[in-house]
Amino acid sequence: MSGNGLLVAGVDIGNSTTEAALARVEPDGGKRFLASSITPTTGLKGTPENVAGIMTALEMVLERAQMPKAKIDRILLNEAAPILGGTAMETVTETVVTDSAMIGHDPRTPAGMGVATGVLVRIDRLDSDAAAEYGGVIAVADADFGYERAARLINESRANVTGLILEKDEAVLVYNRLDRKICIIDEVRRIGAVPLGVLAAIEVAPPAMTLRALCDPYGIAALLGLGPDETRRVSAVAKSFVGKRSGAVIKSPGRNVAENTLPAGKMTVYGDRSLETDVDSGAAAIMAALESAGEIHDVTGESGTNIGRMIDAVKSGMAAVSGETPRITDILAVDTVTPAAVSGGLAGETRLERALGAACMVRSSGLPMERIAEELGRKTGARARVGGAEAAAAVLGALTTPGVFLPLAVLDLGAGSTDAAVLERDGRIRYAHLAGAGDMVTMLIQTELGLRERSLAELIKRHPVAKVESLSHIRAENGGVYFYREPLAPKFYGATVILKDGELIALGGDISPEKIVSVRREAKRKVFVTNALRAVKKVSPDAKLPYIALAGGSAEDFEIPPMLMEAFAEMGTTCGRGNVRGVCGPRNAVATGLVLAMED
Amino acid sequence: MDIEKHDYEQLIAEIAGILRDVLNERAQNAGGMPGFSEGSASPAPRPAAASSKPTPAKFSRSSDPREVIIGVGPAFLAELTATLNGLPHAEVLREIAAGVEEEGMIPRAVKVYKTSDVAFIGKEAAELSGSGVGVGLQSKGTAVIHRKDLYPLTNLELFPQAPLMTLAHYRQIGQNAARYAKGERVKPMKVLNDPMTRASYQVKAALMHNRETALADTRRPAEDFA
Repeated sequence: MSGNGLLVAGVDIGNSTTEAALARVEPDGGKRFLASSITPTTGLKGTPENVAGIMTALEMVLERAQMPKAKIDRILLNEAAPILGGTAMETVTETVVTDSAMIGHDPRTPAGMGVATGVLVRIDRLDSDAAAEYGGVIAVADADFGYERAARLINESRANVTGLILEKDEAVLVYNRLDRKICIIDEVRRIGAVPLGVLAAIEVAPPAMTLRALCDPYGIAALLGLGPDETRRVSAVAKSFVGKRSGAVIKSPGRNVAENTLPAGKMTVYGDRSLETDVDSGAAAIMAALESAGEIHDVTGESGTNIGRMIDAVKSGMAAVSGETPRITDILAVDTVTPAAVSGGLAGETRLERALGAACMVRSSGLPMERIAEELGRKTGARARVGGAEAAAAVLGALTTPGVFLPLAVLDLGAGSTDAAVLERDGRIRYAHLAGAGDMVTMLIQTELGLRERSLAELIKRHPVAKVESLSHIRAENGGVYFYREPLAPKFYGATVILKDGELIALGGDISPEKIVSVRREAKRKVFVTNALRAVKKVSPDAKLPYIALAGGSAEDFEIPPMLMEAFAEMGTTCGRGNVRGVCGPRNAVATGLVLAMED
Repeated sequence: MDIEKHDYEQLIAEIAGILRDVLNERAQNAGGMPGFSEGSASPAPRPAAASSKPTPAKFSRSSDPREVIIGVGPAFLAELTATLNGLPHAEVLREIAAGVEEEGMIPRAVKVYKTSDVAFIGKEAAELSGSGVGVGLQSKGTAVIHRKDLYPLTNLELFPQAPLMTLAHYRQIGQNAARYAKGERVKPMKVLNDPMTRASYQVKAALMHNRETALADTRRPAEDFA
């Protein structure tokens, strides 16, 4: 082989993928790249289990270079930065309804519209003396009363029935049989807990509208005759009706809705400046504390509090991987919301509760890449060694992108971390590893949409969505209408679907495509735009970068690079997807860089 | 295992015997049954009694997009009055209609005479329906939700195990049919399956279907059914 120069492979073991680049190095030092490959990483990054994935990547690259039998002379491995990323999420608020103060769910088919007040009375006691004392009554019917009987009881009653609360899904059925039309809310699962003999107000919004009177404290005050103090107390009730189509408020002392804020706790940052901060005010406070601390050595959280639990969760996860006590070197905290069941609710109400998401970067002592190199050498007979720092290799690789020049910054948008490296004209390299990347985006999507499965959030992150409007066509999130030759399976009917390379994946529940698009974009913005700006600030304090090349798996995303281009355009920086060697796109930068950096 | 096998064979023999008796009886009464006549590829002539006078079509088409038609089989509330597991036909029909109505759509029942096949009853109902969505209901209780632009043997939803159905299920079928008509996502229904159902109801199901098939008249159009 040596007559033709050396056959050299650069190998980059990442958290999720292993990439290889194959080149022939001529005796005069000239390097000619032959092929590249990508395959899933086997085992955790930095462990001997990686060897299987590396062997696959090498076989693939030889095959593609049409020399499957050839023997590789040199293998260069990345010197992985000794960092690991982890994510955690904690709910910050909880809503508690005490003593059935309200009903505020979204039945699909309530009936009637408008507002009504009255005393709550069982539907078969409408003409009792207690009911007669008040001006109007709101009937309460459990599942034993079918729609025909319920309608008959109201039609035959002498009382002024102003509204009806039903356990079964029969509002329209009763409404259609009433002589005098009233507001009806249905599907109230815990109807037995609705108190009787007290004043209540119910409201059903007109089509395409949401509640108006009940989601306003003064509206409730007017309906139920509340004084100033009671009105103040009822404002949490009013707030929890925002966006609902039907609801009921029950007036009774002691009944209320409370939005509790769970103690977020104190966080201690050990850095150039060590400081303790109260994180009750959310993500912004955490990020401000981190910034003022300078270089960070570790972060701890008050035990038993939100922040303490989050930090412990990340650290114990990382300790399991690295077998040592990890230290946190960076945190990306993001305010988010998550749908949660309202405790004490009568009809299975849910509310968006505030939550805090965090990605943490943990420093461990070096990963045993040398051991991997030894093993690889034994298996292939090649001279395998650790070839150089990942960050430097990444910039060298990205420098092969047509159209870039020095000083060049590379933003490596991975799964666990966002890494930045800048190569100055004089050859100096500065780099930074920041917490928060693709995995954090997935977590935010899962949290905000209330998805049970992480894999579904991963699919939403990567692919556009559409609404199936008929058995033969869909409307994509961009408004485009696409037809199918064969009728779609009925399970897709009316569903929001993920468009994965022509395949449809139905989402359960009633999440609209608009909601998904806004959550997905916002999650990407919160993580990648924030981190890109933070990273650039760290590697280039004067922020005068002419070129930024994006690399890594998330640089292949269909909307993250445009978001970053927009963000950097304001700073006069040219930002785009890296295109390693003009053929690999944003992939293979490190593997290519390792080969380029080879000295002998 | 042997005992079960024995039971099964005995059951088959029983069914075959009953079917033979029914067919013989019918052959004597009406001179053969289409599709059941042995040895002859072409259908036997229709029984004179069933098609003596052409019935005027009492169905008037509506173009209301909210209309969901429930098509019932020829024997529904006539020769037969309850489903396989004894649910009264009137209540089954009322529940399906209530389900449609609760969703804000307009239910309407028609009797389909052309066929006793649930898929074709459903397809016929869908074609007559203003919304293009219909429910097919056999007298033995098997139901299907259909759409006019689907092939007869494809459908939106089929509920094949009639003996396991309850009135609540029929309500849900009505609601789902209405949601298909509205273009909304339907509520997934629990798949009912009991491996013993087939064995326990096979004979009764065959007999009921036979009685319904005997009333089918390919030339008689669907009629409004109140």
